Amino acid sequence: MLVYTIKRFFEMVIVFFLFLVISYLLFNAIPGNAFSSLLLNPLLPPEAYQKTIEAFGLDKPLFERVQLYIINFFKGDFGYSYTYYPRTPIDLIAERLPRTLMLFSIVNVVAFYTGFLVGKILAWRRGSKSETWITIGSVFSYTVFYPWFALMMLWFFGYKMDWFPLGKFLVPEKWYDSPYASDEIFYTLILFTTISSFLLFLVFIFTRNIESLQKRRNARLFGLIILASLATMYWTNGEAALKRFYAADIAYHMILPTFTVTLVAFAGTALLTRTTMMEVLKDDYILTARAKGLSQKRIRDRHAARTALLPVVTSFIFTIITIIDGSVLTESIFSWPGMGQLILEAVVQEDIPLAMATFSFIGILALIAHFIADISYAFLDPRIRIKAEN
Amino acid sequence: MPDLLLEVKNLSMHYDTLDGNVDAVKDISFSVKSGESFGLVGESGCGKTSVAMTLLQLQPDNSVITEGSIKLDGKELIGLSENDLRKVRWDSISIVFQGAMNAWNPVIKIGEQIREAMREHYPENSKQENIEKIDELFKMVGLDGSISERFPHELSGGMKQRAVIALALSCDPKIIIADEPTTALDVVIQDQILNEIKKVQDLLGLSLIYISHDIAVIAEMTDKIAVMYAGSIVEMGPTKDIFENPVHSYTRALLDSTPSIRGEKRKLKSLDGEPPSLINKIDGCSFAPRCPDRETKCNPTEHMRLVEIAPDHFVDICSQGKQ
Ligand SMILES: Nc1ncnc2c1ncn2[C@@H]1O[C@H](COP(=O)(O)OP(=O)(O)O)[C@@H](O)[C@H]1O
Ligand SMILES: [Mg+2]
Repeated sequence: MLVYTIKRFFEMVIVFFLFLVISYLLFNAIPGNAFSSLLLNPLLPPEAYQKTIEAFGLDKPLFERVQLYIINFFKGDFGYSYTYYPRTPIDLIAERLPRTLMLFSIVNVVAFYTGFLVGKILAWRRGSKSETWITIGSVFSYTVFYPWFALMMLWFFGYKMDWFPLGKFLVPEKWYDSPYASDEIFYTLILFTTISSFLLFLVFIFTRNIESLQKRRNARLFGLIILASLATMYWTNGEAALKRFYAADIAYHMILPTFTVTLVAFAGTALLTRTTMMEVLKDDYILTARAKGLSQKRIRDRHAARTALLPVVTSFIFTIITIIDGSVLTESIFSWPGMGQLILEAVVQEDIPLAMATFSFIGILALIAHFIADISYAFLDPRIRIKAEN
Repeated sequence: MPDLLLEVKNLSMHYDTLDGNVDAVKDISFSVKSGESFGLVGESGCGKTSVAMTLLQLQPDNSVITEGSIKLDGKELIGLSENDLRKVRWDSISIVFQGAMNAWNPVIKIGEQIREAMREHYPENSKQENIEKIDELFKMVGLDGSISERFPHELSGGMKQRAVIALALSCDPKIIIADEPTTALDVVIQDQILNEIKKVQDLLGLSLIYISHDIAVIAEMTDKIAVMYAGSIVEMGPTKDIFENPVHSYTRALLDSTPSIRGEKRKLKSLDGEPPSLINKIDGCSFAPRCPDRETKCNPTEHMRLVEIAPDHFVDICSQGKQ
């Protein structure tokens, strides 16, 4: 497994180099040589202009420029943003990235999980009325034109019903006298979700060797209760108690975009899970599981769904890349000031350093997501894991 | 009667298909005593697997049991709720499936797949107890304990099959059904597996229902056999009797088409024709169209029913000639 991970890691690094080179060449190929538009950008003071020329080696031949770009990349030096001068792209990304990460990791986890759950139940209840209707609903949300759907959601839940805010990620009025910057709250939120998911993971890992199913369920329940009380304690004591109000504001703004993207994104997973699981249910080992006298739930979850998970994860790996275009669309519609919006702005404003930096970072994100998905796939399928070990 | 473990009476089952009903099990009765091994033999497609599945109440969704009773240890299985059946399965009756190669879930370790069944039926066992028991069972079927930690695709076909036998024994069933357990294996391994099953059965005093299309194998394995043709039992009796004194023409044909297990060279005779389609209702003897004796000895128009011609030796009435 370790060898496999290292191998995949090096593959990832190579792909990343290729990605950097190609994205540089693409930017270079923008008609009229985008770099020359530097000269025309009135926002840029002369000293920054000089620095940029130097930093990017704009007076050098292409090959050296690419080299320089890669070196600069690893130094974290992208020059200056034209539009936000004197802020650097790194600075801007550090501000925006957490917002996008937060929204889209939650959306992806929720969408994958609900999709898998729904698909599993659909396959199990094949032929029932509820199965038919939910399948039709999933096909609709799988094929619907996403921007239209997102706007409809925004119109209905945000405007018509007025349940959710119409966009942005906070209500500015609430933050006027806030002792915290919004980023700080964001980091707290991210840290909190990361740690709680990790602890949750630990609870499941440590209880999986309990032999009696009854005791295992109780142990897990107990673990969840402990975690929940820890979380409550965290938000009611010390500094977090003060941050709570602001964190809640951000969380509230996340609900509608999360819900909308989830609705669209879960359907693909649900439909695929349904089909693969219906195939798996015909397999011989399902009959063995039934003959062993296992409970319906255990046959469904442990035998059928567990095996059906493999192709679903594969397809999920391939859709991870849509996080990028998805984030541009979603963030524009819900005016969520994240990486997607930053890319859009940078491209529209021809802010080349910023655009390149954001692209590279999203590239890294996609690669990392891929990497994680790949590793977990190998973890899920012993046939791959063992092949990888030898 | 001396402790009858399994008692099947007048069992009839058909599959509901678009072309009509497939009568896979027609009015079948037999019984198995504890410790006894019972063989079910017949050409492929005659309904052997259907009988086996019905015994576990695991028949496919499109099947309908029209009549009959299955009593296991005095308890009626037909009509039992899924939850009650779960308690009976594996605990009292377990099965080694036909094509047991695919009986293992590819993504779960062998040991865990066995322990999972033990957890269900012995919830109070500790993990250690379960592991020890599995090791013991593995030893019994000639496997190493370390197999527990392997995934199915890491084992050879023969090893998988041995592990399946260990799996079938894991919850101390009273009776095991082995449905052509050696079909997918090569000949040498087949022999080993048969010996393993026989050994384990003797050692644990289990009852066994051994299903095969190969009457030679059945002869080695069983005390009593039933010959099945087109969904019905046409002859049933102590194995020795059937071999020494086969009465039904189909039994004789089966025996003639098999090289003798006792080593004397017998002439191989193959049966002409095909088994009848189970969709068509047949009145009278279903074997009649292929029967070499239909003109001479038999009475193929007689409605099928078993008569006892010697102690414990039953045969279809058609073969008894005109009365
Ligand atoms: N689910 C099913 N639906 C319809 N027909 C079936 C089904 N399962 C088996 N059959 C038919 O029932 C007959 C008996 O099959 P089976 O019990 O598998 O025979 P055997 O095990 O003796 O080879 C065959 O004709 C087979 O085609
Ligand atoms: Mg069969």
